[in-house]
Amino acid sequence: MKSGDLDANILLQLGPLALSNTVLTTWVIMIISGLIAWLVSRSLSLQPGPVQTVAEGVVSAIEAAINEVAPDHTRQLLPFIGTLWLFLIVANLSGLIPGVHSPTRDLSATSALAILVFLSTHWFGIRAQGLRDYLRHYLKPSPIMLPFHIISEMTRTIALAIRLFGNMMSLEMTALLILLVAGFLAPVPILMLHIIEALVQAYIFGMLALIFVAGGLQSQQVSQSKHQQRE
Amino acid sequence: MELNSTTFILEIINFLVLVWILKRFFYKPVLGVISRRKASIDESVAKAEQLQRNAENLQQQYDSRLADWEQERQTAQRKLAEDIQQQRERQLAVLHNDLQVEREKEQLLIQRKLENERQQIVETALLQGAQFASTIFSSLAGPELEQKLAKLLLDELEKLPAEQQDQLRSVNGGTIDEATVTSAYPLDQITRRAIEQACRGILPVSGQFRYQQDPDIIAGLRINMGSWVLAVNLQDELKGFVGLIT
Repeated sequence: MKSGDLDANILLQLGPLALSNTVLTTWVIMIISGLIAWLVSRSLSLQPGPVQTVAEGVVSAIEAAINEVAPDHTRQLLPFIGTLWLFLIVANLSGLIPGVHSPTRDLSATSALAILVFLSTHWFGIRAQGLRDYLRHYLKPSPIMLPFHIISEMTRTIALAIRLFGNMMSLEMTALLILLVAGFLAPVPILMLHIIEALVQAYIFGMLALIFVAGGLQSQQVSQSKHQQRE
Repeated sequence: MELNSTTFILEIINFLVLVWILKRFFYKPVLGVISRRKASIDESVAKAEQLQRNAENLQQQYDSRLADWEQERQTAQRKLAEDIQQQRERQLAVLHNDLQVEREKEQLLIQRKLENERQQIVETALLQGAQFASTIFSSLAGPELEQKLAKLLLDELEKLPAEQQDQLRSVNGGTIDEATVTSAYPLDQITRRAIEQACRGILPVSGQFRYQQDPDIIAGLRINMGSWVLAVNLQDELKGFVGLIT
C-alpha cells in the first residue's frame, strides 16, 4: 500500500498552482451535474415524466428538509444546502468507481466545504439580521461566553471537515486493505457499506451545515425569545 | 494527509460555481415548474370548488324548484279535487233535477195514461151505453115517438130567439133553394105542412121541401136547410150525448 493511493495526486503543476485529481474529479462532477441539470431543465413540463418526477422529488425532499429547520429561509438556503447534499452524495459515491479519486477523501476539499459552511453561516446571519445584531449574539447570554463561541465556531468547522475526510478516507482505506489481504471479491460487503456510509456522511454534513446556517439565521431570534421569557 | 492551498481555493470556487449552475439550471426551473403545477392545481381546485359551489347552488335551486313544484302540484291537486267536487256536485244537482223532471214527466205520463185509460173506459162505456140505448130505442121507437119528436122540434123552432134567426138568415144569404127533411118513418101531410110552415117562418125557402127516410136515425127528424141542420132524432141525440160527455 502506497501513501499515494490515499493522498491526492498532483496532475499538473503550473507555477504555484498544483492541479490535483481532486480538482479534476470535482470538475467532472460539475460538468456532469450541470449537463444533467441542463437536460432536465429543458424537458420540464406540467405533465412530468419519470426523470422530471425524480428531479422534482429530489428538490422537494431538500426543500422539505430545509423547511423543517428554517421555515422562513427555505428558498434562500435551498441552492447552497441542496448543492452541498447533491455534490457530497456524488463525490462520496464517485470513490466506488475504480481509478476515480473521491474529492471528499481529500482534506483540502472537505476543508474548503467546511470553510464555505462557516462563511455561509455568517453571511446568511448578517444578511438576515444585520452585522451589529448578528455579532451581538456572541455576547449572549454573557460576554464571558464570547471566547467559547469563537472556539465553538472554529472547532465545529474543523470537525465538519475532519469528520467527512476521516470517514471517507477510512472507508477507502479499509476496502483497500481488505482487497490486499483477502482477495478480489472480499471487499464487496465493505463497498456496500461504503455506499451507505457515503449517503450517511453526505446527509450528516449537509444537515450539520443546515443547522449551523439556520442557527446563524435565527440566533438573534433565539436570544430575543429567551430574553422575553426571562422578562 | 496534507492541505493543498490550490485544491482548497479551487474547491471553494468550484463549489460556488456548482451552486450557481445548479441554481440556474436545476433548482430554479424545477421550483418554477412545481410552482406552476401548484398554481395549476390550485386553479383546478379553485375551479373545482367553484364548480362545487355552483353545483350546490344548482342543487339548492333544484331543491327549491322541486319544493315549489311540489307545492304547486299539491295546490293544483287540491284545486283539481275541489273542481272535481264542485263539478260532481253540479252534475249531481243537474242529475237530481233531470231525475226530478223525469219523475215528474213519468208521473205526468202515468197520470195521462191513467186519464186516457179512464177516458177510453168512459168512452167505451158511453159507446156501449149508447149502443145499448140505441138498441133499446130501436126496439121502442115507432111513429108515435117520431110524432112526439116532430112536435118537440116544432115547439123548439117557435121558441128560437130572434137574434139566432137573424144570424141564420145572414149566414145563408137571407134565403135558401131547398130543404131536406129526413125521418125514420114516413111523415103525414099535416106534419109536413107544419114543418114547412115553421121552417119558412125562420128562413125563407124558394124551392121545394124534399123528404127522405133513414132508419138509422131510429126516430125523429133531421132538417137540412143550407148550412143549417136541425136535428131532433134519437141517433143524433145519442151521438150528442156521447160527444157531450167525452
